[in-house]
Amino acid sequence: MSVYPDSSTAYAVFGELFTILTADEEFTERLRDADLTLRLVQTKPDCVIHVTPDQVRLGDDAPEDASVTIKMSCDTAHRLWSGTLLMPAAVALGKVRIKGKVAKVLELVPILQPAFDRYPQLVAAQGLVDGAAK
Amino acid sequence: MTATTVRAEPAETDLNFDQIPRSVQRFVDEVRDFAQGVLAPRAVRLDQQAAEEFDWEVIQAGHDIGLTRALLPRELGGLGVGVLGLAMAMEELAAADPGIALAFGATMLGQTPVLLTGDPDLQQRYLSDFAGPRAVLACNAVAEEEAGSDLVIPQHFPDARMRTTLRRDGDGYRLNGHKRFITNGAVATFSAVYANLEGHPGATGLTCVIVPLDAPGVRRGDVLDKMGYRNCLGSELWFDDVHVPARDVVGGECQGAAINVAQGNMARSSVAAISTGIARHALDLAVHWAGERVQGGKLLREHQMTARRLADMAVDVDAARLLYQRAAVKVDTQLPAPEREPAMAKLFADRVAVETASTAVALMGSRGYMRSYGLEKVLRDSFGTRIFEGTPEALALAITDCLYRDDDDDDF
Repeated sequence: MSVYPDSSTAYAVFGELFTILTADEEFTERLRDADLTLRLVQTKPDCVIHVTPDQVRLGDDAPEDASVTIKMSCDTAHRLWSGTLLMPAAVALGKVRIKGKVAKVLELVPILQPAFDRYPQLVAAQGLVDGAAK
Repeated sequence: MTATTVRAEPAETDLNFDQIPRSVQRFVDEVRDFAQGVLAPRAVRLDQQAAEEFDWEVIQAGHDIGLTRALLPRELGGLGVGVLGLAMAMEELAAADPGIALAFGATMLGQTPVLLTGDPDLQQRYLSDFAGPRAVLACNAVAEEEAGSDLVIPQHFPDARMRTTLRRDGDGYRLNGHKRFITNGAVATFSAVYANLEGHPGATGLTCVIVPLDAPGVRRGDVLDKMGYRNCLGSELWFDDVHVPARDVVGGECQGAAINVAQGNMARSSVAAISTGIARHALDLAVHWAGERVQGGKLLREHQMTARRLADMAVDVDAARLLYQRAAVKVDTQLPAPEREPAMAKLFADRVAVETASTAVALMGSRGYMRSYGLEKVLRDSFGTRIFEGTPEALALAITDCLYRDDDDDDF
């Protein structure tokens, strides 16, 4: 059973997660320095997020072009942000696919802590507990 | 009846070879100088020595310009030239001597699982020596007496007759088994070793561990007397109840299949580059000969049949180079590394190496057949790359599998 019951729940959590990150100066500075724009394509349910240093755009508003595209399921995203799946293992197992400036993206992982810290609260706010809807 | 859709790849528009970073180009230029200035003058002599002879002086000189740490990121003391930079360096080395290219290539193969884990502790313990002043080498131990391609093709894992095992023992493991045909096995400091976790059939419990080769219970077997690639050493490795701490298991139990496939996909563009270097060397010798040899009152290159052969060889070498560079760019910009492009590059370049070397020998006649001219060495070396990192048959299966696979259908 999928963790996220529908796209609107996924947008509520992941949209907010990246809004938190784009409020973090270290994160946005890294994006600018590396000239990075991210397009996250999450499936099951569908959830598309476009991240630049200045804004987060969701769904139909998310532009197609980005210097890095990251594709994964919402379940995999949940496990990554929950800390139960590590990025290198997820990539090695083919659970996450990255196209573009791969090395630059991996350099971002250590500075994502603010989002890791907030993820459990965001999930709980949507009524999702331990990977399933209440 | 259900129709099967075969994927036709769209034309590539996203590759720009003009954008090779300056740091990468500088490294490749330095490797070319090393290959032609240090390696080429001694390649034939080294090739004709006894199988056990190994030139640490050349390895040290290569280490000094970064050849043992090219793939490592800068934060680990490496050069961070990526797979494209590494592959281009491999072509330069192989155009002088593929055996030495392979000694460095096998080292990077042994480093790859440690890199892929992203485990800082494992990386610090096993990779930091490569940034030191003394040359060290690594190796990767997969092949066994009864399991070769079976450990390269995941579909074969359930039936693989793999004998190297890993058994849980207290807070660690015990490793037992015997690996064959291991490049650098005789001279490496550590090896990535693939073993099957006990209780799993075939190779379905494939697990990758890092083993220092001075650990109690490790024995290095005799150096193998090879047809080509004689300037790197292939040997056997024996593991007799070797203790492996849990922290030296790469990526966890039973994760070896994914690591092995990822490692192979990363390595194949570099092996294709070695084949390209071999073919380039053969072409250079043939071009030189056909440009000065006179028969029938004119230069060989002015004979139509010879001109056609030279032109075909030149086109093949360029095509092989473009394929491996495309593959390397893809590997540098996609995670996990793609399977299709590196397999295609290697399948093509391996064939070009054998055919180009063979044609060059035919063009040079008796001189091509003499050991002192160096071309017969190129022909012998050309057969090697068809064996390691995927035989033509294994590569064909991988490529065909990609033709029938739709990435969008993958269960993320």
